[in-house]
Amino acid sequence: MQATILVISLLGMIAVIAIFLRAISHGATASQSGTVSDNIEQKRSRLIWGLLVFGVIVTAGSLWNWPHDAEASSDSISVNVTGGQWFWEMDRETVPAGKPIIFNVLSKDVNHGMGVYTADGTLLFQAQGMPGYVNKVKYIFENTGTFKILCMEFCGLSHHDMNASFKVVANASGEK
Amino acid sequence: MSMTSTAAPSPQTGAVKVAMLISGAVFVLMMLVGVLMRAAQGDLLDLDPALFYQLMTAHGAGMVGTAGLSGAAIMWYFLGRHVALTRWVFHIFLALFLLGVVLILGAIFLGGFGAGWTFLFPLPAISGGAWDLGAAAAFLLGLVSIGVAFLLFYLEAGRAMISAYGGLGNALGWPLAFGGSTENAPPPTIIAAATVTVFNTLGIVVGAAVLVVSLINLYLPEFAVDALLAKNMIFFFGHVFINASIYMAVIAVYEVVPEYTGRPWKSSRIFALAWASTLLFVMAVYPHHLLQDLVMPGWMLIMGQVISYLSGIPLLAVTAFSLIVYLKGSDIRWDLAAGLLVLGVAGWSVGSVPAIMDGMISVNKVMHNTQWVPGHFHIYLLLGEVAMAFGFMAWLVRGDVAQSRFTTLDRLGIWVYIAGAGGFTLMFLISGALSVPRRWAVHMEDWLTQDRIATGFAVLAVLGALIFVLRFVGGLGRSSKA
Repeated sequence: MQATILVISLLGMIAVIAIFLRAISHGATASQSGTVSDNIEQKRSRLIWGLLVFGVIVTAGSLWNWPHDAEASSDSISVNVTGGQWFWEMDRETVPAGKPIIFNVLSKDVNHGMGVYTADGTLLFQAQGMPGYVNKVKYIFENTGTFKILCMEFCGLSHHDMNASFKVVANASGEK
Repeated sequence: MSMTSTAAPSPQTGAVKVAMLISGAVFVLMMLVGVLMRAAQGDLLDLDPALFYQLMTAHGAGMVGTAGLSGAAIMWYFLGRHVALTRWVFHIFLALFLLGVVLILGAIFLGGFGAGWTFLFPLPAISGGAWDLGAAAAFLLGLVSIGVAFLLFYLEAGRAMISAYGGLGNALGWPLAFGGSTENAPPPTIIAAATVTVFNTLGIVVGAAVLVVSLINLYLPEFAVDALLAKNMIFFFGHVFINASIYMAVIAVYEVVPEYTGRPWKSSRIFALAWASTLLFVMAVYPHHLLQDLVMPGWMLIMGQVISYLSGIPLLAVTAFSLIVYLKGSDIRWDLAAGLLVLGVAGWSVGSVPAIMDGMISVNKVMHNTQWVPGHFHIYLLLGEVAMAFGFMAWLVRGDVAQSRFTTLDRLGIWVYIAGAGGFTLMFLISGALSVPRRWAVHMEDWLTQDRIATGFAVLAVLGALIFVLRFVGGLGRSSKA
């Protein structure tokens, strides 16, 4: 997913750069008598409406399925993950693949961020851990293996050492 | 337009030059701190994590504060062309700002404070032994001092505009925006300055409230604010403040670019509407910083995503679009000032693309607090606000228009700066896409290559910035702009 986001962003950025470069090179060759054409405002209006329509489509598409859905179901499994300076505590070390796992993210002291990574270092999802609150995030692991938790919210001196890991197993043996 | 103030409008050139000199020097110094941090992450330099986080705090506070200072100096200078400002207010503003800087530097480098410039509650009070409460108090008091400085600045700016235009609504250009009335329509500078005055005053008041609560909490832990409320207040303040710096700096584009294109930047109805919508968007968009705080009301997160996108429309379809139209129709003679001011709007516009992407909840799930975030904000600060500030500095000491030249050194400076800042920010975006978390003092082996490449680009950006600042210092003696 991240690669797609990067490519889309780069294309958008290149498009904006190209528009500016075109204006600069066009300006260099324009004559003194060149006037701003009458249809400029029409073009601007089209740009605004175009951006609005595009925005509505993207917004609807990206929110149609609520990205933060953490509704429990009959087969979901809850895991409590508590952050503290500078450690993670989990109330289970293994979870099953293919079942909705609901992570209840808590904090013992300051703000932390639970970032769940694959073994090869790709961030899958995250949630903040905040004193006084329980942030719930749901995820279904498709693959088994070892997954890492890194801290995503700056929490002080050893923020970068706040790592933990857990296993995703093939069957329901992850249940205690 | 009625002028009820006793003094006549006139830009306060000397004090503004001092402010820009301080800004330029601090920008370069803090960029060097940035180079040190990237080098340490790339394992090119052995930096104790405690010192890394202190430098990170200094870099954040220093850059945000200086972006604010340079933006404020630009706004004050051009506002002085249109309304009569009380001169001593800017002196008090500078003095309080510098007092805040001294307190912050003392807190960090004498007291070891390293909670980040965002002072996220309750981290200042719970350091795990890294700093004592006195250091945290000095840092928070330093921010309060800077906040008071800006509050004073905006109160005076607001007073002068209300006095000159017969009400805040008029200064905001609302009769033009909502009634189409072109009679006595304020110039773009006034509409922009009035808008920033309103939203940044509110931002600073909210920031001051959470700062005071955090200060009391240091010594009375039972006096605790709700962590989620504090986070909302801090990000409201932080978002509004850093955006205000860009929206103040763009005033230099409105005022200076017409000197090059020969086309005045007009207050059209769409311009006034764009600023009216910006007033709302800047204040309502901050929940996009809290998209992974899952206890936040869903409607606020949706609002964060939607307004992140909408915020790009006034920027792209009004400011950037108008600049492009003016450039296309003109026979512009480039120099350092014109180049940097146009770069500033282009960089700001380019940076809005990855920012909008990160404002989407589903994207934010895998990009939040990765290096994607410093990636996008460094684009619209380094290549946006800071470029505009350097452009304004170049213009301030440009001297006679007819004599102005785009020297080889100027061209070299711009291209080195674009290459350095462009490469540096691109490496942040790539690292973010590779899931590298931000604000880590020590990086994993897999991340070192990008860190090292980024360090090289950062050195280039500093060299470019150094050329701009030295050129400004060299020009100070001979310029006579007033």
